[in-house]
Amino acid sequence: MDQLTLITFLPLLGALLVLLTPASQEKALRAIALVTTLVVAVLGVRLYLQFDGTSAALQCAVDKPWFVLPGSAIAIRYKLGVDGLSILMVVLTAVLMPTVILSTWGHIHKRVKEFMVWMLVMQTGMLGVFLATDLVLFYFFWEVSLIPLYFMVGIWGGERRLYATIKFFLYTLAGSLVMLVAVIALIYHFRTADIEALCAQAGSLELTKQLWLFAGFALAFSIKVPLLPFHTWLADAHTEAPTSGSVVLAGVLLKMGTYGLLRFGVDMFPAASLELAPLFMALGAVGIVYGAFLAMAQTDVKRLVACSSVSHLGYVVLGMFALTRAGLSGSILQMVNHGISTGLLFLLIGMIYERRHTRALDQFGGIASTMPIFAFFLVFTVLSSAALPGLNGFVGEYLILLGAFQAKPLWAIIGVLGVIFGAVYLLVATRRVLFGPVTHEENKHLEDLNVREIGLMLPMVVLAVWIGFQPTPFLDQSRGSLDRVMKKIELARGAQSAALEVRPLTTEEVVR
Amino acid sequence: MNPQDLLHLFDERAIEAVRPLLALSAGLIVLLLSGVFDGLKALRGPIVVATLLFGGWLTASNFVTQPGVVLDGTYSADRAASAWGLLFVVATLLAWLFSHNYYSDEERPFRLEHDVLMLTTPIGMMLMGGAQNLIVFFVGLEILSIPLYALASFRRNRARSVEAGLKYFLLGAFAAAFFLYGSSLIYAATGTVQLAEIKAIGIHGPLALAGVALLMASLFFKISVFPFHLWVPDVYQGSPTPVTALMATGTKAAAFAFLLNAMFMLPAKAAVLVAVVALVTMALGNLGALAQTDVKRMLAYSGIAHAGTLLLVVAGTLAGDPESGGALHAALFYMGAYVFTAAGAFGLLALLERDGERFTSLESLKGLAHRRPVVAAALTLFMLSLGGIPATGGFLGKWMVFSSLVRAGLIWPAVIGALLSVIALGYYLRVVIAMYMQPASERDAATQSVRGVSAMPATLAAGVCAVFVLVMGVLPSLFLDRLP
Repeated sequence: MDQLTLITFLPLLGALLVLLTPASQEKALRAIALVTTLVVAVLGVRLYLQFDGTSAALQCAVDKPWFVLPGSAIAIRYKLGVDGLSILMVVLTAVLMPTVILSTWGHIHKRVKEFMVWMLVMQTGMLGVFLATDLVLFYFFWEVSLIPLYFMVGIWGGERRLYATIKFFLYTLAGSLVMLVAVIALIYHFRTADIEALCAQAGSLELTKQLWLFAGFALAFSIKVPLLPFHTWLADAHTEAPTSGSVVLAGVLLKMGTYGLLRFGVDMFPAASLELAPLFMALGAVGIVYGAFLAMAQTDVKRLVACSSVSHLGYVVLGMFALTRAGLSGSILQMVNHGISTGLLFLLIGMIYERRHTRALDQFGGIASTMPIFAFFLVFTVLSSAALPGLNGFVGEYLILLGAFQAKPLWAIIGVLGVIFGAVYLLVATRRVLFGPVTHEENKHLEDLNVREIGLMLPMVVLAVWIGFQPTPFLDQSRGSLDRVMKKIELARGAQSAALEVRPLTTEEVVR
Repeated sequence: MNPQDLLHLFDERAIEAVRPLLALSAGLIVLLLSGVFDGLKALRGPIVVATLLFGGWLTASNFVTQPGVVLDGTYSADRAASAWGLLFVVATLLAWLFSHNYYSDEERPFRLEHDVLMLTTPIGMMLMGGAQNLIVFFVGLEILSIPLYALASFRRNRARSVEAGLKYFLLGAFAAAFFLYGSSLIYAATGTVQLAEIKAIGIHGPLALAGVALLMASLFFKISVFPFHLWVPDVYQGSPTPVTALMATGTKAAAFAFLLNAMFMLPAKAAVLVAVVALVTMALGNLGALAQTDVKRMLAYSGIAHAGTLLLVVAGTLAGDPESGGALHAALFYMGAYVFTAAGAFGLLALLERDGERFTSLESLKGLAHRRPVVAAALTLFMLSLGGIPATGGFLGKWMVFSSLVRAGLIWPAVIGALLSVIALGYYLRVVIAMYMQPASERDAATQSVRGVSAMPATLAAGVCAVFVLVMGVLPSLFLDRLP
């Protein structure tokens, strides 16, 4: 069996194994899930090492017939492949999962079997989204990956879990179904569902059509990211989800949105992206600041991190729609960075919640004296999230702001403001949790992190430092594909300015 | 017409074409005869199954050999009609399996009558699906409807069931009258009741148009499309659940099969009107379902919404879908998936009712995942398929309906339809929430399987439904490649 099929469907196989194991064998269930994800992680790393970043071509491609739409004879194929736009996402998904599974030791105690099944199904769904190179297959995985989180939040979530899970599901589904219409229109127009072929041809569509199709796709992805007006489901879903659900949601699921914007927005419709870039940059930049303000106002730590997610993903969108080389590389890297740092934050919040059973900021204070190891990890993560130079967040945000400044200085400046606000809410929250006197009796006798908890965070900590010091190998992975995308953007830019030349040149254009 | 000509009509091809009908009728008579002798009681079940399987096999062979239009152009047994025929047989078989051991003891003496009535329905459906003539359709409609009126009120000691039967009968009678009146107007305008001839002459003038309108009203009644959908919730809820399954799947499919054949009577200008009617139907069905606390009634409303969705393909065709057969493909696949999904869902409800979950309310489904994990999982699968989530047959059905619209250039109806189907997930997921995410109330937790009768046939049928729903979703080529 080929490598990509193996990576994608191994978790599903694990889920079947879990399903066949009796529910009373909790240890065995956890072991099966952990071993499966570890094997997938190893396969993911192997894929990463094999991957040639200088090439723009799809690598390890799989292509098998799946079904043929009747009448039109359009072949829908089972096509998987990995390129520079998806490789980091695939590896992130593969590497993050063992951590997530390990973290469930602490907080999933009821219905363990079902939880493991959903976790593993989710991994198949997410990997499928990043690996599919057939549009129908992509859509297939895209919607299937909704269901596991729906169950995770709904069964193992907090008090308002039913509200949160329905809201999450319906919000995303509304976007997805509008995208479905765009998918159908695109497929029947070009009579192929092959994403590579569509990416090559869709640029030839007239601009109005491109804009409509782009809008159809972008709506679904903007909801998933979530971009500014669509962000309300995220805070609820994050707050109510169990820790591991939050980690997957922040770590990978939201990246499906930004990844989609990149592949089905920028790559597929360069002219439309160029046209709408100001709008998306604005939404991104405003999202950065607005998310930061939201985060400042929260009293629940988890909700605070959820709001910071809105802010951080604003960077990704800002950089992407700067449509410059630096912005695009930065935004790809920042997707990984956000997965690492926000994932770690949610893990840490989960660990303290397991001990204190509260997430209210005013219930903490002085934790650093009772839990020094925890304090170390929290400070480290906060600094990574606040983009301290030397850690991963810095590289990504720097590239993004650089790229944005080249394109539209105004939004870059607003984005920089966000960096400051980000530092404010993160550091204030850290101070209130860790430092000062111990004001609550319960906080005096908290157990510090155990070996499992430290161990499950270590890979991500290592990655954070590694990316911070040595970002080039990671950035190089997307070099070839970004060259290809940039070429398209330049072409579209040329066409756009050619169209503009009909009217007298503005000063700015003369300068150029 | 003298007898000689009549014999002449029954050439080899014609006999081949009507073999399934003959087989089903013969089985029906044998079943009736078996009722005369008490000693043959044990054989009745096998007779029903054997008749349906044999009828299905003959239909399948027609699907391959395609006898075509026979009997002086009144009845067709081409690929499409045979595919529909297979669906009808499957729907009946599933409904019958679910009815096994469903009724309580005081209703059981009439088991034979029940089976006879149920076995009559596929004959009517096949006549409707293959009809190339308004009168043949009408005969089929009556053969289907009259047994259903009786079946709807089969739990005669329950007021709701009797009410369902009465309502269905009164409104159904109106619909039948509409159909006849419409046919007579069309006959007055064109001088024929043969579809092919009407097509050649064309629908011109107010008389013919009025006839078409009446005809459509009657079909819309059977498919449960706005504004003729109001009977559905009461009838579906009151009827015995296996009968509801049959009505929801078989009747709808049969009427839709004919609607596709008679679609040419609608003027192309009506595309927007049909699209609006379809979207309003979807909206009313989905919003109505959202307000329900009884799952059976909710599924009734969802059935209305599905009828609306399917009607969109008619709008697509009228608006000039460039793909010939696009509507037929979409309708066959959509209805195929719907037959297995809806029959499965109603069937599981029947199973639960029978096993002592006294009600079909959402309340009584709470905590089902603990009590009966397999049933809950299967019901979840059916809910997701009804909602059109990928990896289930419902998704590709939805895909094909919307693609017909998109090809015809009706983008906005497609977008609105897509958004309306988001509402649907709102109530399908409520069922899942009740089963998986809410604890059982104490009364239900104590309820055990009280009757202790065999659930084998119903379980088997539900299993078959689940497998088909999944296979249609994951390996659709098995079905798509065989579409006519």
